[in-house]
Amino acid sequence: MEARRQRDPALTEISGLRSVTASGPARPCIVLDQVSLRFQSERREVQALSDISLTIADGEFVALLGPTGCGKSSLLRLVSDLLAPTAGTIAVRGEPAAAARRLNQFGFVFQEPALLSWRTALGNVQLPLEVVGYPHEKRITRCEELLDSVGLLKFKDAYPHELSGGMKQRAAMVRALAWNPSILLMDEPFSALDELTRGQLQDDLLQLWNRECKTILFVTHNISEAIYLADRIVVMSAHPGRIKVVLRPDLPRPRTDDIHETQEFMRWTRMAREALQS
Amino acid sequence: MSDAARRIQNRMRDEVLPPLIILALALGFWELSVQVLDIPPWLLPAPSDIVDRFFKTTTLWYHTGLTVFEALAGFVVSAVLGVSLSAGIVHSRFLERGVFPYVIVSNAIPIIAIIPLLTIWFGFGIAPKIMICSIISFFPIVTNTTRGLKATDRRIIEFMRSINATPSEILLKVQLPSALPFIFASFKIAASLALVGAVVAEFYSSDRGLGYLIITSATQLRTDLLFVAIVVLAALGVSSFMLFGYLERMATRGERSEETQ
Repeated sequence: MEARRQRDPALTEISGLRSVTASGPARPCIVLDQVSLRFQSERREVQALSDISLTIADGEFVALLGPTGCGKSSLLRLVSDLLAPTAGTIAVRGEPAAAARRLNQFGFVFQEPALLSWRTALGNVQLPLEVVGYPHEKRITRCEELLDSVGLLKFKDAYPHELSGGMKQRAAMVRALAWNPSILLMDEPFSALDELTRGQLQDDLLQLWNRECKTILFVTHNISEAIYLADRIVVMSAHPGRIKVVLRPDLPRPRTDDIHETQEFMRWTRMAREALQS
Repeated sequence: MSDAARRIQNRMRDEVLPPLIILALALGFWELSVQVLDIPPWLLPAPSDIVDRFFKTTTLWYHTGLTVFEALAGFVVSAVLGVSLSAGIVHSRFLERGVFPYVIVSNAIPIIAIIPLLTIWFGFGIAPKIMICSIISFFPIVTNTTRGLKATDRRIIEFMRSINATPSEILLKVQLPSALPFIFASFKIAASLALVGAVVAEFYSSDRGLGYLIITSATQLRTDLLFVAIVVLAALGVSSFMLFGYLERMATRGERSEETQ
């Protein structure tokens, strides 16, 4: 845990971001206070989220687990200021979400890779750097470094249609990290992948988290994925989306594939399933 | 290398040769029927007469050049205005609701009916022809481009917004490039329409251009010249279609190949 908090000096280049303190108790990174979200759809009003209060610490890996329609994806969009809450407040490092968005604190990863088909892998990773105003001369090196970290350096000049599903999602993942945002928002990022690839990407993500010390908010409907990855699991119910219970699977880290077979893991799986079904 | 060469060879054999054979046969049949049935040249000139006329008409390039210029100028104007308007429509609810209905309505006005009006206003020169060309090609460009801009992956736009990208950055880096296949497809249609517009405008009031050439050769029963003008127009239409078709395929590369496989 302490090793993870040591920041890579090369990654603290972007100014304007408050860096994570190397010691002391974890500060709150994202605070949601009684957040509600209503949509006005064609025929009726939909209560997407109701009374969500949640505090996420700096460097914490939190999974949002719930059935379809529980508003977990909307929650990510609220945190990143893509949606505005109907009621309640959202603070990121003590400031409104909009301020954090302006400081480029959020890296978004979706279920689909959502890469630009006319750009190469390198070009896609470079896209956010062009937007956030990353120094020109460092862009290519930064992108190559990132692609290398997920084994895609060989494919840097390949277009998305030449990449496999797993490679595309890896590229999307490093695209969301390119400018070194402090918070990673992941919306069921691995759910469209096959079992084997998903496992590999989960491990990639854990390594990355370990190395770069991000706060991660990870939406999933896969119980074992949530347990395998997260420090804390927020179990949600649907219609309206509410927090049912928060689990803290204290499985040892680093977690490897073997952990899936342990008694502990199964116990947590059972607990999460019961929480979901209750 | 030899692999690529063989591929081109195969393509020539499979795709280029068959239509050429059919064309040669049709022309041969035409030539032969004109000779054998002794059809008068004002009714149907033989292909050889048409080719002959093609090389003898020294003013042909002048007329062609003028018509191409009118069509091209009108097309460029409506491409620039059309794509800009589409960008505006996509970014502004107000523009979409306020302007788009009129774009649709504009398509319902028969273009031929407004040629006399534009002639009254702007005279017999080149300006009203360019206007006709741009009016006629405006509609497909705006509708297709708007559709293309709207078809952009919602998630990429969300991603861009989440990193605080400005609307113009989103437009230039994401929406426009992703709409390129739609835009080129609309250019393909618009360019042929612009050509039609130029010719029709010249029919009504002109003393030069391919439309003028068609009208005068028809009234003088110079059918061979009429055919020459038609062939040149057809060639122009086909080349613009092929050019934009090629650009469309280039822009689509990768994107669609994935889905259609």
